[in-house]
Amino acid sequence: MTWITLDKAERINSVFDVKIGSYKDNVWVEVEKDNLINLLKFLKEDPDFSFKMFIDFTVVDYPYHNPRFQAVYILYSPEYNERIIVKTWADDTLPSLINLWKGAKWAEREAYDMFGIKFDGHDNLVRMFLWETYSYYPLRKDFPKEGFKDTYLPSLNEGKNIPSHDYDPYHTAIPTLEDLEITERKRISKKNQIVLNWGPLHPGTHGTIWFLFDLEGETIRECDIILGQLHRGIEKLSEDLTYTQIIPYTDRMDYISALCSNIAYVNAVEKLLGVQPPEKAKWIRTMLAELQRINSHLLWLGTTALDLGALTMFLYTFREREKLMDIIEGIAGIRLNSSFLRIGGVRYDLPEGALDVIKHFIKDFPSRIKDYEDLLTKNRIWIRRNKDVGIVSKEDVYQYGLTGVMARSAGVPYDIRYIQPTDAYADVDFEIPLGTVGDAYDRYLIRIEEMKQSLRIVQQCVEKLEKLKNDKYVATDNPYVLPTLNEVYQSIESMVKDFTLRIYGEKAPVGEVYVSGENPRGELGFYIVSKGEGKPYRLRIRSGAFYNLQIFPELIKGRTVADAVALLGSIDPVVGETDR
Amino acid sequence: MAMTNSGIILTTVEEVLSWGRRNSLWPVSVGLACCAIEMMHTAASRFDTDRLGIVFRGSPRQSDVLIVAGTVVNKVAPMLRLIYEQMPDPKWVISMGGCASAGGPFPTYSTLQGVDRIIPVDVYIPGCPPTPQALLWGILELQKKIKAKKEGKEFIEIPVKVSQESKPISK
Repeated sequence: MTWITLDKAERINSVFDVKIGSYKDNVWVEVEKDNLINLLKFLKEDPDFSFKMFIDFTVVDYPYHNPRFQAVYILYSPEYNERIIVKTWADDTLPSLINLWKGAKWAEREAYDMFGIKFDGHDNLVRMFLWETYSYYPLRKDFPKEGFKDTYLPSLNEGKNIPSHDYDPYHTAIPTLEDLEITERKRISKKNQIVLNWGPLHPGTHGTIWFLFDLEGETIRECDIILGQLHRGIEKLSEDLTYTQIIPYTDRMDYISALCSNIAYVNAVEKLLGVQPPEKAKWIRTMLAELQRINSHLLWLGTTALDLGALTMFLYTFREREKLMDIIEGIAGIRLNSSFLRIGGVRYDLPEGALDVIKHFIKDFPSRIKDYEDLLTKNRIWIRRNKDVGIVSKEDVYQYGLTGVMARSAGVPYDIRYIQPTDAYADVDFEIPLGTVGDAYDRYLIRIEEMKQSLRIVQQCVEKLEKLKNDKYVATDNPYVLPTLNEVYQSIESMVKDFTLRIYGEKAPVGEVYVSGENPRGELGFYIVSKGEGKPYRLRIRSGAFYNLQIFPELIKGRTVADAVALLGSIDPVVGETDR
Repeated sequence: MAMTNSGIILTTVEEVLSWGRRNSLWPVSVGLACCAIEMMHTAASRFDTDRLGIVFRGSPRQSDVLIVAGTVVNKVAPMLRLIYEQMPDPKWVISMGGCASAGGPFPTYSTLQGVDRIIPVDVYIPGCPPTPQALLWGILELQKKIKAKKEGKEFIEIPVKVSQESKPISK
């Protein structure tokens, strides 16, 4: 288990006056705001606890509670393999954590942006996602999901009387270029020769990330990153949806590895509801997650190599991606954002022949990986562009909450599949590659090795699934699980159950859970607060790419602009997930 | 068949220009969200848009098509508009996917509900995200539209259905 036990948590009581509680195995500690920093410092530095790694920070709004906001910190202890949740209540100010963990900087900016909480001691508290002149705090409960439609923005299309364009001409306010300039100025002020904007709409930025470089000649002296060019408000939106309805949104967050995001979310909900998926569903999930991981790493390999000038890699990896997309389309019905998972199982059974196709892929793919390695691993240009770029140390991993390949390149064996096995990961045999230097070249080698390991897992899943041919793929006996289409047609009870679940949602018990999954980009965690309704009271998404990207300004200082491309490629962020 | 004598082709300048434009549509390589991945797939090995004369360009000043691939949020809207304004005339816009066309599944405070509120759109492609085949269809539709415009016709591929009063079914 990855959570601290209640007995051990009681020991905190001898030093601090805290309230201790738990839901399922998640243990939380509630402390007064004045004592917060002392408690966190104690938890971080005491050798009995040593919660060195910063996982997440978020805020939950309770408008009828005094004080109004509940701050939630999630920490991890690498030595004891334990997590803990620390909570505190605050009205409008909280002490900043950046002296304890540098990784708190962006999370606190986000809390300021979304809830309007000020942080004492924060070095540059600006809006994380929205622009500076925006005057609302969207995740507060009194802010409507649609925003305030106060700007006249009609359609500019020439054709008249098109029925589909018969919509409200009033819209939420969009910023002007001046607003964005103010946002930019607040982030970084020119101290050297020139402030260079990289992005947001630049092919090299892997999406819509906006970089600001303060340059002296070719060397970057200061750097800051503006996010929010893809902030779609998924967290706000999910407060108004049932648990099943949120599944498609998790696809659209990390769209390169949609199935992995699905799995992380569905596991969190299943833990909250106490649903146990059938054996077959677990193996299907694991198999698809690993196929998706190969798919994601292939996209990373193709685009990063393209950015560094190796166009051939892009065409090669996309050839293999098409095969994987076809496999996923054959199983799930949709190529990219497949929404294949359901609470308590998967959407469909495996179609006939799916395993044969995957077996063929397993046979074919190793020779393709060899091709890639022949092209890149000992390529002189590739080595010189990647070697010693962005060296991450173990201390950085704990300070910034780096996860995924970023953590493993520094030699920290932090892999959720291993430390908190969900689905069938406990039953499969695989290795976790670790880096020795922590540079971009290490991360390249790790990702290549991970693809090989994923292939091993897929192989084991195929062997197992061949034995489980006629098993159930979704646990419809459970009252929280939607019945299959066939059952709805066959029995009236299933029809009633389907209706109530779809209309009123899955009435989850009161409580909160934090469950994460190993995404190709890092730890994707879901912190769900349930108030006993059919929809979550608050859904916090802990994005791996968000925390991994945070170290970018630190790593790029003193290096050239050309290294920024290589470094960003090796971090591999996806904007849909960082911005949510 | 070998050409034995030098022939004459009669055409108009407009026709030649339109022919050239519609067969070398160069989109800006701007990706916003999920649809951008499918746009990359359209450009990559399997679907290979190069054979249709569609070459992705890095600069808006060298392009004549803007494929809005993905969710346009309020914050990125002025920048996208800037890119559109930087493109030389004649230029066209393809709205790819549900989000760009009408906000898609994100009816929220931060999402632009339809990219046609900031730039005029020529072709809408449905889907979330549209498959590469759908994007190719959209580009071919745009080619037809450019051709029809040269001929002075209004191009309506899908006729708009006017709702009629329903009648009781008689046997």
